[in-house]
Amino acid sequence: MVKRNAKTSVSEEEGEAPVVNENGKRAGEDQNKDGAKRIRTKSLYRQPTVNELNRLQETENLFNSNLFRLQIDEIIQEVKVKEKTEKKFLQFFNELKTYLLSISEDGTEYDLSEQAICKKLKVKLPISERLSKTKCMFTFHKFSNVEIVGSYGLGCSINSKLRVDLQITVPSETYTKNDSINYRYHKKRAAYLAYIAAHLSKYEPIEELQYSYISMSESKPVLDFKPKGKLGNQLSVRIHLACESDAYKLHRFSPERNNLREAWLLNENTDNNTEVGPPTPYYNSSVLTDLTTSVNQEFLNEILLKSDNLKQAITLLKIWLRQRDLKVSGHVVSLLVAYFVQAKRINNIMSSYQIVRNIWIALKTSELDTKGISLHKTQEKDTCPSLEVFHKHFPVVFIDKTGYYNICWQMCKGTYAALKRESALAVDMLDNGKINSFIPLFMTPVKPLLQFDHILRFKNFNQIKKTIVGKAPKEEKVNYGVEELPLVIDAVYSLLVKGLGNRADLIQQLVEADFSWPVKKTLETARSGFEEKLSFGLVLNPENSMNVVEKGPPANLPEAEQFRAFWGDKSELRRFQDGSITETCVWEGETMAERRTVTTQIVNYLMKLKFEINPTELYHVCDQLSSVIARKQWSRGSSVLQVEETSLTVLQTFDSLRRDLRQLVELPLDISAVYGVSPVFSYTDPVGPVPRGPPVRPWQRASTCLVKDVQRDGLHTLPDYVPVCKVVIELGHSGKWPGDIHAFRCLKAAFHLQLAERLNKQYGNACQAYNTHVDVLRDGITFRLEISHPKEITLLRKEIENGVAKFRDTEESLQLQCDTVLLPRLRGALHGLHQKHPSFGATVCLFKRWLSAHLLSPPHFPAVVAELLVSAVYLQPAPAQPPATPTLGLYRAMRLLVDFDWTRDLLVLDFNEDMSREEIMEIEKKLNEVDISSRPAMRIVTSYDGAQAGAWSRAGPDSRVLARTKALARSALDYMDKKFSECADNVLNMFVPSYAGYNVLIHVHRSLVPHCWERVDSVPALRPVAETFAEDVIPAVEFNPVDRFLEELRSAYGEFALFFHDAYGGEVIAVLWKPDVYEDKEFQLTNANALKPVTAKGETKYRVNIEAIVEDFRILGAGLVRDITVNT
Amino acid sequence: MISTMTNNTDTKAKKAKNPKRTQDFKAVQLKLTEDSVAPHTIYLKEHVVREHTADKPQGRTLLVVNVPPYADEKGITNAFREAGSVQSVQLCLKPSTAEVKLIKKFLPDPSITTFKAAYIVFKKVAELDKALKLTELQPMNSEDHQITTGIKKWIEEYNNTIVLPKVLKENVETFMKQFDENTKKADKKEKELEQEDDEGWVTVTKRGKVQSFARSEKVENKIMQKEEKNKKRKELKNFYTFQIRESKMKHIVSLRQKFEEDKRKIAQIKQSRRFKPF
Repeated sequence: MVKRNAKTSVSEEEGEAPVVNENGKRAGEDQNKDGAKRIRTKSLYRQPTVNELNRLQETENLFNSNLFRLQIDEIIQEVKVKEKTEKKFLQFFNELKTYLLSISEDGTEYDLSEQAICKKLKVKLPISERLSKTKCMFTFHKFSNVEIVGSYGLGCSINSKLRVDLQITVPSETYTKNDSINYRYHKKRAAYLAYIAAHLSKYEPIEELQYSYISMSESKPVLDFKPKGKLGNQLSVRIHLACESDAYKLHRFSPERNNLREAWLLNENTDNNTEVGPPTPYYNSSVLTDLTTSVNQEFLNEILLKSDNLKQAITLLKIWLRQRDLKVSGHVVSLLVAYFVQAKRINNIMSSYQIVRNIWIALKTSELDTKGISLHKTQEKDTCPSLEVFHKHFPVVFIDKTGYYNICWQMCKGTYAALKRESALAVDMLDNGKINSFIPLFMTPVKPLLQFDHILRFKNFNQIKKTIVGKAPKEEKVNYGVEELPLVIDAVYSLLVKGLGNRADLIQQLVEADFSWPVKKTLETARSGFEEKLSFGLVLNPENSMNVVEKGPPANLPEAEQFRAFWGDKSELRRFQDGSITETCVWEGETMAERRTVTTQIVNYLMKLKFEINPTELYHVCDQLSSVIARKQWSRGSSVLQVEETSLTVLQTFDSLRRDLRQLVELPLDISAVYGVSPVFSYTDPVGPVPRGPPVRPWQRASTCLVKDVQRDGLHTLPDYVPVCKVVIELGHSGKWPGDIHAFRCLKAAFHLQLAERLNKQYGNACQAYNTHVDVLRDGITFRLEISHPKEITLLRKEIENGVAKFRDTEESLQLQCDTVLLPRLRGALHGLHQKHPSFGATVCLFKRWLSAHLLSPPHFPAVVAELLVSAVYLQPAPAQPPATPTLGLYRAMRLLVDFDWTRDLLVLDFNEDMSREEIMEIEKKLNEVDISSRPAMRIVTSYDGAQAGAWSRAGPDSRVLARTKALARSALDYMDKKFSECADNVLNMFVPSYAGYNVLIHVHRSLVPHCWERVDSVPALRPVAETFAEDVIPAVEFNPVDRFLEELRSAYGEFALFFHDAYGGEVIAVLWKPDVYEDKEFQLTNANALKPVTAKGETKYRVNIEAIVEDFRILGAGLVRDITVNT
Repeated sequence: MISTMTNNTDTKAKKAKNPKRTQDFKAVQLKLTEDSVAPHTIYLKEHVVREHTADKPQGRTLLVVNVPPYADEKGITNAFREAGSVQSVQLCLKPSTAEVKLIKKFLPDPSITTFKAAYIVFKKVAELDKALKLTELQPMNSEDHQITTGIKKWIEEYNNTIVLPKVLKENVETFMKQFDENTKKADKKEKELEQEDDEGWVTVTKRGKVQSFARSEKVENKIMQKEEKNKKRKELKNFYTFQIRESKMKHIVSLRQKFEEDKRKIAQIKQSRRFKPF
């Protein structure tokens, strides 16, 4: 009885929880309560069954975590082919098979160089014109069977875009002994396929009968079609042709053999074709595939058919590959798994998680490019070629069961490098307990723009292809035969690898070349207008990619000659400081922006040098937005100032100030710590302060300039806007601070006075003490020092209740804690992040500029939240690596913003690996206790939040702003996708805001707007940065009329409207009424703001006086507002 | 302009009928200058409460709500100059009956730009009645007083923040002097409490001869924790068989709980993403 209860309890659980709750409330009903209690004890404290114990333990041992296991179960369930579909297909297949086998042999012999066969069959041959010079006779011999092969046959296929592979084995009498050379085999194969196509074209239950070229192979077409009706929505069918294995002896296609005559290919005189020519491993492999397929298929069946866990693992690997768009076919994956089974690295008893993990580890450490692997068991008297031979001819080596065929013959080095790299990343993700690694591994599509830092495209690819093929050496040409694309890929890839060296961690080709066309059309007519697409994605090494100098070997070594030969004129002899004299290439790179283009420079130079392709023919997705992060107003020397350099100047000055501050004497308390807190200290301020020269004719009080109220032509003229850099200082310990907040602040002011005096006396810096801070001028930059003391926060939190002092967080204390305790730590962490990833600062600047351009400046989207969001791209880059270029960093930040589930998940930023998994869980639990409706819209937790987890995203953005930002980001992403694929040079339109939808637009005088010269659309008007600085007078700082205006507007009319503005020089303040301003209001003594009486139908009602408010905008902004337009 | 005026008189008629809702408020338009096109409507009534404070005397005080953000005391005085001479104008964020107490703060509260309430105290009772009968107010700006807004105001504000070190020093010194005096007074008071009173009671304070502890949350919590610890120390753990059995069970329960948690998470993910990888 007890046992039965225990068993059923598992199924009871789900329905139970609410019952318990309900009963728990009804405390009066004793019996019911007892019953509920019993069930409850059963549910959590019930005796475990053997099954359950096993499962719990299994998960602990065999899987990463419960979560991981459950997710695997879900995804496998999701991608599995539905039983219904399977049944339907089986029926369809049986009918199709019967029909196919009814094909008749007509016994006619066709000359394939003539059109007779096409006329007879009424379909075209799927083969290009280039093979027309091959002469051969073809007779159709009937095949004996149609088999289901590939993933569908094995049962590890993926439901979406399902394609069932059928295989028809061509009888060996179709080919003669000499057909193996000069594409005769391929031509006959094509004819055979045409014959089947002709037969199928009369078959009713199918549609969309097409030839296709797959995996860049132009000589080996396949036949694609779809079943008619509903089944056609689920899957399509592809017919492959194999060849009976006794047609040829395999050793004829050893990598060393030549089967494609040079004379034939290059149309040379056929008289001297006695010599055999260079080996043609690529051509050989294309025949070998057909010959060996049955052997390998049998092998796969034997290993996989009955092993569910292995099949599950293969399915997972295929999902993983497809998300990364890696060109590794399911066949290769299956064979790899089979290999590792054979090598006893995995077996079917392992869980799918363990298998996948083991395979990743194996792939990560594999070296298929130097130490190939083989399924073939070497026996004595074996005639198979050795692995060394294969390595000589193929980049990646994985030998099949027969020992002759390289399964990875089509795999490029780039693909293999990517595979290895992705495997390594996958293992890292699995080992990172802090993220739910399942999502980035299997659920997130990794698009090229999310993965690479630099993408190279070709504008007119067909032309470029011809140029590159023309420059290829003869051996290569013979090897690849009519397959030009692989040849081009190989050539460009090798060039890039050699040219970029350690600047790039990964170079991967991205090919879109699969092509299908209807069977009744000739290839040439169908293909006019179609262009294969080739691009190269580079993952840059952040440390090396910006090196300006490419140091070669010393001049006296023989390698120097090679270096010179490779780099051409660019290479010159240079003497370095360490005394070495070497061959060197030097690229332009004075500013950070230029240094980011070093890779572009190299690629452009090499393409011109080696293939004579002009830079205008190339397109780089890399630094499209560099103009946005360059300062438009300032220059140093001959180059435009960049955001990084602005920050660097400030940081250098700050360092000297910090040193001096700590050496101040005669202060009542020593200064123990000095922190910079302004964004400029972490390279994240797009318009950071630049050193200023002395002001002309200053009007000053004490040591600070006053603002003169000057009008010219009725328009105010203001001094340049000068921002300050905020600095927080901490003082040595003292117990003498008063226990009253006002007295405390008063003493602080007294300290400010002394600090200002000492700084002035000891170092001669102009200083001005205020109640709340001290301003210091050093090297033309104004720093604002604020004293931080924990006691001030405590005093703000203190309240007395029943004579007991209690400490409660108040709005003011939280704010002060954020500003003086949390921000210094966070700023330090962000500064560290920039040191580690040099593109971080510029990416934040771009993101801030973009937000602001769309009028979402703080306080709508707080600056710190923007910084944290971008830092998430660097701290949690899974599934990719942190970006190395700002443009693509911005793309990824937007992607994160759009894709992240902000309502449910929280973003945890662990800067220095300080947080343990338990801590994160704890915080997650705590924050998730808050009801969804009252949560902040974004929840970002950092490792520096202390007791206030999520402090930074508490204040904003709110859910409407977030929704708008997401919508804008989505369209910006689409825009970038489109422009980058069109090879467009200008993408700045994404920074142009739309003013549609706002109710009122307030235009302000341009000359009064700070940063108005830094706008995205303004023309650069460069001024040199000051070299001599004011020593004795601080300029008027932080006087920003637009900000003050906005502050007043928000404080006065915040309950009626929202105000939007571009903080980086926007001339327009856009006003959006809250939806309820048009409604009738209740008149209350305490809430009569801006109401006007309105009489309607003899009744007095109250409405918001919108006209008066608009007039108020003019009054409050007197002197600043140029015009107000009201949209109706 | 005319239409709004008629509108206004209409409203008044309505108000008479419906006194409860409008709370006897009278609506008048308040202009900044003579040529203001769309002025705000302010609402005024006599300030009547049970207990009047000294700064808002009975019969002479007018309560005005919905005063526009830029209005200042002088401007309001100007607006009501037809009614008579205004003794004082008190602007506050919300109407409040209590007397405003000045707490001595070192940093003055920042002025908030928003709609305010105003208490206008006239010199004579008759002037208040006159004010209540006004149908039209004078503009707030007059020849001798212009309300500064916009750039001018901000420049003024900015320049005012910059003070000579000497002035700042004086401020600090006067404030601290007063603070010291206050603390001294408080200390004295405390000392007095320590003396035995008439009935022989002694109040325990922080600094007295009788030892006491600081009355704060932290200290109280500490004491409670200590108590609990003592209690726990007396218990035996993993001693009886049932305890061992329980601890094993606890392990299973924690595993189960984790499992349940994960299942919930999956349900969440399922809801949002539905496990469709493509």
